[in-house]
Amino acid sequence: MTRILYLFVAELKREWILLRRYAAEAISGIIGLVIVFYGLFLSARYVAGPTAQLGDRLDAIVVGYVLWSLSIFILGDIAGSLQREAQTGTLEQILLSPLRVSYLFLIRAIANLSIQFLLNLFVLLAISALTGSQLSFSLAAVPPLIAVVLGAYGLSLGMGSLALLVKRVQQVLGIVQFVLLFLLTVPIETWAGSSQIFGMLLPMTPGAGLLRTVLAQGKPVELVPLAIALVNGCVYFGLGLVIFWWAEKIAKRQGKLAGY
Amino acid sequence: MSSGRAQLPPVFVYLSSDDIMLVLTASHLRKTYREKKEDLLAVKDVSLQVAAGEVLAFLGPNGAGKTTSIKMIAGLILPDAGSVKILEQDPHLNPKALRLLGAVLEGNRNVYWRLTCQENLEYFGVLRGLHPKQARLRSQELLERFSLTHKRDRVVQALSRGMQQKLAIAVALMHQPPLLLLDEPTLGLDVEATEDVKRLVREIAVEGCAIVLTTHQLAIAEELSDRVAIINNGEVTVEESTDELIRQFSNSAYLIETQESIPLVQQQKLEALGVELESDRRIHLAEPTLLYPVLEILKPLPLLRVEIDQATLRDVFLKLIRQP
Ligand SMILES: Nc1ncnc2c1ncn2[C@@H]1O[C@H](COP(=O)(O)OP(=O)(O)O)[C@@H](O)[C@H]1O
Ligand SMILES: [Mg+2]
Repeated sequence: MTRILYLFVAELKREWILLRRYAAEAISGIIGLVIVFYGLFLSARYVAGPTAQLGDRLDAIVVGYVLWSLSIFILGDIAGSLQREAQTGTLEQILLSPLRVSYLFLIRAIANLSIQFLLNLFVLLAISALTGSQLSFSLAAVPPLIAVVLGAYGLSLGMGSLALLVKRVQQVLGIVQFVLLFLLTVPIETWAGSSQIFGMLLPMTPGAGLLRTVLAQGKPVELVPLAIALVNGCVYFGLGLVIFWWAEKIAKRQGKLAGY
Repeated sequence: MSSGRAQLPPVFVYLSSDDIMLVLTASHLRKTYREKKEDLLAVKDVSLQVAAGEVLAFLGPNGAGKTTSIKMIAGLILPDAGSVKILEQDPHLNPKALRLLGAVLEGNRNVYWRLTCQENLEYFGVLRGLHPKQARLRSQELLERFSLTHKRDRVVQALSRGMQQKLAIAVALMHQPPLLLLDEPTLGLDVEATEDVKRLVREIAVEGCAIVLTTHQLAIAEELSDRVAIINNGEVTVEESTDELIRQFSNSAYLIETQESIPLVQQQKLEALGVELESDRRIHLAEPTLLYPVLEILKPLPLLRVEIDQATLRDVFLKLIRQP
């Protein structure tokens, strides 16, 4: 366990150094996010008309948007980091470490996320300031957030597997980002019957629904939906790991790790 | 074996005179690449053994299968057949075995270009299982040893190719592995850097590390190795002590130069003998018994010089292929 902790700290340090050394990229990224969102917000208000009360719905949009950008980040992280390492040639050096690559890239992804989380906090504050919408962040939001993040890492491992095998995943990532928008915004809490069951099987959807109820509507979390969301997250996470191991084995058999 | 605590890295295995310790045993490695339904047998049959403190040069022309073999030993490519044992552990079955080896792969991209020397050393040290404090101490030690201390805070991108390569070797040695794999370690380096790397390789071996290096240059193998394994078309054709190999091939080639270009008729006669011309007035003769027959053919052309030439890798292959 301590080894993992050391590695996590080493990854944090590495990310932080790079962020500081190449700060322009990071800052432009943040500014980009805020601008995109502000644009979204303005057009939403334009469509709704100046007198419309956005209220709850605006909060839901903010939650949805932040969740979306966070998930996009997680989703592309493992694949992106794998691809970069393959291009620059350090991937094989990393694979020479005695820890399984999947764990290593997960540790790295979590370190990245911690830093990204800080950046996102800025985005969130900026958005709040720009739109005057106020989110009350309650601790009750943490468990459903974990469920969503677990699911996102599962999909991220899936995308990472794809990157190991076919190298170029940019196009697929682009499409997946829109699928993600759907997954995170379908209001399955309002669905009924068999379609609701189907909705619970979708990755990240149950957790995202819960987050909306907690953060935008201020309702308490119920246990059964939370359990469903967490199981959903764990299953997708486990699935991602298994697929990644399988892809790693194939890549080693094909001799494709170096991006031949 | 599965204690969760940080384990100390293995120490160098020191070689005592009466106890030769095999660090690497690779037997009958085989690898076929499948590219668009076409099979390419890259490595047919490669077996290697390296003892602590020994340098084995894995010598062969481009495309012979050296890199593929090295990567199979390092656990990066799964062999179709055969086995790899590093101090009795198989890197393909047990990822912990990877702690026993360090590798510098072909090319110049073994470290992070955007990090400094020190940052690279410390990061990879922790990655290979060192405690952060150990990693810091060890990185100081290696920076000094590799004369990189004055560049410790420079990003790798800004270093010369030679320094990058030295850093890559230092990174591979962070966790003091008993086995070091170097794929074309001097390729693309200038003369000075090449000398530096050669000196380091010798020193590291003296300290007891087993080293496998690949090269397509006979001279490098000659200068650095205790033993040479020659690989051609995916097969180890000869494995011999370097001294023995050199003894076989020293004085075995001649360079003949004429003052005027050799007329076509004589050129054809030479080719009939199996002698190849480097130019129309220059012959590299790999078969010393042919010296007088060749001179006979050239007579009475005025000669510029006849001298002993260094055998080339090509000569070695030709000779080996001709041998029964
Ligand atoms: N991943 C790969 N996929 C397909 N063919 C490969 C791959 N890697 C190497 N090869 C081919 O295998 C042969 C051996 O390559 P390699 O091991 O790199 O030789 P060397 O290092 O001796 O130059 C070459 O013909 C090369 O083109
Ligand atoms: Mg090679």
